[in-house]
Amino acid sequence: MKVILILLFIYANIMAAGKEGDKASSFNLPNLYHLDKEVSFDRYNGKVVLLNLWASWCGGCQEEMPLFVDLQKEFQGSDFFILLSSIDKESQNAIDFLHDIDPNNLLDALYDSEKILPKAYRCIGMPSSYLIDKNGNIDTVYVGSIDEEKMVALKAKIKSLLRK
Amino acid sequence: MYKNLMIVTLIFLSGCSEKLVRVMPYEKEYFAQDKMSLSPIADRAEQEGHVFLIREASAGGESAFQGGCGCR
Repeated sequence: MKVILILLFIYANIMAAGKEGDKASSFNLPNLYHLDKEVSFDRYNGKVVLLNLWASWCGGCQEEMPLFVDLQKEFQGSDFFILLSSIDKESQNAIDFLHDIDPNNLLDALYDSEKILPKAYRCIGMPSSYLIDKNGNIDTVYVGSIDEEKMVALKAKIKSLLRK
Repeated sequence: MYKNLMIVTLIFLSGCSEKLVRVMPYEKEYFAQDKMSLSPIADRAEQEGHVFLIREASAGGESAFQGGCGCR
């Protein structure tokens, strides 16, 4: 019985993903466009953040990115920020892709070559997005790309978190 | 003693599994490349058709519209 419990614990530990209600992992990562400048997660304290783990080679990530640009435009001037974290091997691939989608750099972009965030958040699918509330807790986890339908629910969640 | 050793071994094995056995979704950059695709992509299908034509000295027969008699 004891052994089974230990095995279950080990399995749960391996399979555990960044869950809703967990404290979002803090980080310092370089800005994608200025690799010598570090961005700290503390900068987003008291803000609602959609942290998106993505890569230019990931089809789902490419599909949802234009929707994120529209989303950020809609919430421009509010306390909501979309934070992209690229895990590309070459940062230039991510920059080239974003250049076409987001020419005005509306989305805050980080570069995570060491894949620190996917490991910290135990990412189980690409892309993964984490809606983080003003207290730095993960409110909702989205595994896979966010389509128009999910976007409606996401907007409602963001509005509700901004009101809190 | 034996039991403890087994538990420690299990912990070590489970620790290895994530890094050595499973390819995590964020490590699939090379798998996402076109050349890793099993099905022929549109650009390559044309090239393959050309190579087939030269090698077999015959054209056609690659589509599903044939009767299967091999007479074309």
